[in-house]
Amino acid sequence: MNIQFKKGILEICVLAVLAQKDCYGYELVSEISKRIDISEGTIYPLLHRLKDVGHVTTYLQESAGGPPRKYYRLTESGRKEEHEQKEEWMRFAASVNALLEGKNDAAE
Amino acid sequence: MLQNEQEFIRIIRSRLEGTLPKDELDDIISDYSEHFMIGKANGRTDEELWSSLGSPEDVAREIRVMHLVKKAEDVRSCRNIFHAVVATLGLGLFNLVFVLVPFILLVMMLLFVFIMGVLFTVLGPVTFVYSVLQLLGIPSFAIWLSPLAGLFISIGMTTFGLLMIIGDYYLARFFYHAGIQYLKWNISVITGTERSA
Repeated sequence: MNIQFKKGILEICVLAVLAQKDCYGYELVSEISKRIDISEGTIYPLLHRLKDVGHVTTYLQESAGGPPRKYYRLTESGRKEEHEQKEEWMRFAASVNALLEGKNDAAE
Repeated sequence: MLQNEQEFIRIIRSRLEGTLPKDELDDIISDYSEHFMIGKANGRTDEELWSSLGSPEDVAREIRVMHLVKKAEDVRSCRNIFHAVVATLGLGLFNLVFVLVPFILLVMMLLFVFIMGVLFTVLGPVTFVYSVLQLLGIPSFAIWLSPLAGLFISIGMTTFGLLMIIGDYYLARFFYHAGIQYLKWNISVITGTERSA
């Protein structure tokens, strides 16, 4: 898929993963790159931007047998944002799918 | 070149030092070193982690652009917006057309309106003085109007000129704000990772 297209939807992917559970950076990156092929390094700047605008906060938590890890958590505004973007994406995807399927029907 | 954690972090640090405040830079660096550390604990090599992160130059460029655009948003100044625009250009040739050209056109337009405003503002008093001289019967070089009309027109010119300058200020403010929103959208869609894709 087009790399620029993926970049645009990265934000909602990050928000969606964090809506399910708090994650440390590596966990979040793995979670996303498991499904989407993207330069993983771009997820951290995105996290910082989300932190800047107040959609996520961070806290440190001890890990088993290692130094504490930095966890990212959605704030209230982050949850709202996640909800809105998800709705918007669902509507968008539904329209595109309908359009694509319509085209296939016409071609057959 | 060795593709290991130290080198990755060294490049990020060297590219961002002086642009980002130290605590912010340390915060970012800590994310990447944590990433390498956990990755290696999970049995991945430095090289694997490096190549899935993407080149540190691209990562640093992206962080730099985000920071500069945010700075231009927080503190409005010609200098800040200029830095933000220049940094955005580094994200790809694409932005020469979609950032640089509109930026130059806008600046030229705002400058033009400002110069016209100043011109009218200054021409007002000049016309005024000429008209007064003519009214007093002192011959100055030919004016194209009756001196009385000249008096009124001179006042009109200065008023118009000042309005243009004030309007230009508000236009500049509007475009500054709109421009920042556009840059933010631009960097959230366009990325410096094209090459490593």
